[in-house]
Amino acid sequence: MPFNQKPQKFNASINTVEIGCGDKAIKLGGESVFPFYTFDGPIDNAPKVGVEISDMGLEGATPEMLAYYGEGASFADMAKKAAAMEGADFVCLKLEGGDPNGEDKPIEDLLAVVKEVGEAIDTPLVVEGCKNVEKDSELLPKVAEALQGKNVLILSAREENYKAVGAAAGLAYSQKVGAESAVDINLAKQLNVVTTQLGVDAKSIVMNVGSAAVGYGYEYVVSTMDRIKGAALSQDDAMLQMPIITPVADEAWSVKEAMASEADMPEWGSQERRGVTMEIMTAAASLAAGSNAVLLKHPQSVKTIANMIKELV
Amino acid sequence: MAKFITIGERIHCISPSINKAMATRDPEPILKRAKEQIAAGATYLDVNIGPAENDGEELMKWAVQLIQSECDNVPLALDTANKKAIEAGISVYNRSKGKPIVNSADAGGRIENIDLAAANDAIVIALCSAEGIAADNDERMMHCQNMLERGMMLGMEPTDLWFDPLFLVVKGMQDKQMQVLEAIKMFSDMGLNSTGGLSNNSNGMPKNIRPIMDSALVAMAMMNGFTSAIVNPCDLRLMETIKSCDIFLNNTLYADSYLDL
Repeated sequence: MPFNQKPQKFNASINTVEIGCGDKAIKLGGESVFPFYTFDGPIDNAPKVGVEISDMGLEGATPEMLAYYGEGASFADMAKKAAAMEGADFVCLKLEGGDPNGEDKPIEDLLAVVKEVGEAIDTPLVVEGCKNVEKDSELLPKVAEALQGKNVLILSAREENYKAVGAAAGLAYSQKVGAESAVDINLAKQLNVVTTQLGVDAKSIVMNVGSAAVGYGYEYVVSTMDRIKGAALSQDDAMLQMPIITPVADEAWSVKEAMASEADMPEWGSQERRGVTMEIMTAAASLAAGSNAVLLKHPQSVKTIANMIKELV
Repeated sequence: MAKFITIGERIHCISPSINKAMATRDPEPILKRAKEQIAAGATYLDVNIGPAENDGEELMKWAVQLIQSECDNVPLALDTANKKAIEAGISVYNRSKGKPIVNSADAGGRIENIDLAAANDAIVIALCSAEGIAADNDERMMHCQNMLERGMMLGMEPTDLWFDPLFLVVKGMQDKQMQVLEAIKMFSDMGLNSTGGLSNNSNGMPKNIRPIMDSALVAMAMMNGFTSAIVNPCDLRLMETIKSCDIFLNNTLYADSYLDL
């Protein structure tokens, strides 16, 4: 009997969210099919790859990353190099040095980095806070203000600070708002509900629904994303139709496969290759599960994942 | 499964203010009720213009265009015994939010409304009765089969016939209530959609009792696979019950603010 293909059609789609301005602006989402299901319908906006840089400069960078950016690179240089990386669609600046439990850099210092990076590149920009909810509630509204007119994505509004971050980024300064939950599907939806109740346009929200490195409870990430895409498309749930962005590098580079030195684990081979492998595997899994964008840091991962996307879409 | 669909029943010519608004083509009272019902969570709005024998076509066109243009093309159920008026309404209907519903056909004198729906790519509410209420479920299901076959012969999708078991009033027909629920289960087992005027069950009961009875019945009906109902969406208890049942049925994903959605 001949194979009779029946496309799975949905009368709903993921919202299209544009980040950046001008020719280099990117669009996340817009599809009415499951991830990479191009046999069911077109995917006009292929998933995007972002390259992470940090206000901590090249601290903790691998030898290959150091070689790529060059030692002593300024923030502006790093931003330009990240934007020029093969396979990069956008740049993500992490302000991890702001964490009160770490460097606790003052907000003015962080804003100086933000401005330097913002002026150096016209590539779409995502700015990630320091993850401390109190500090981020102060810092991120100022970042949104400093980058007015650049249509950046601010990561992230969380359950504890969505009012401060969401109102500043999404209402006062017309940026895009990242809504972050940690592998909790009900909270992912709830955060979108309350953020839109603030008055933020649903189409200005991108979700970060959490991540993990592959092998570290990753199946929870997959089931969360699966359920979200299912509700968005088959149940036409407007509160889950936001595109998904997933920070991959943080998780992938902080597990023992990426951290253990070659002196400790000679039989595991090159530490750098292990880290890259973890990053690529985690990114590929996130995209297959439904991420519309991933945040990576190693040039080889960026190139490999960009190629994978090109081959599949 | 898809979310339960509510059809708001409050634009009805039996209401004196709506009757007058329809007669004088006064938009305000009609739009007020339309917006109230949408805000309360109605998916579809029923537009009942009564028999409308004289100016039905013109009136239905006016009402459809008025409500859709002011309410973001909310989908509508066109409710009148005047077939030409339903066709006239469909001719100006905007389908972007959903097909029009023909309200309604039965297995007796109004069976031709199925033909009308088929010819116009509309949904039709199919009352499982012919002359008077069905005596039992054998009769209900016979009507259901007849109407389903007729629709399918005319090229309709089976899911575009929404079968109405006819809800019966508890006061006087208490012993028939389980039959109605069983009929819904049979529709559901056949993969068919269903709907009905749920609040019939509580006719004649005190005002404070009716929302309780209606809520309990909708929960039992949804458990049996009921897919839509013609309701007063301004009945908060009923709407909260429907939203909660949609959570248990996994028709919609839970979030703490689910009642606001």
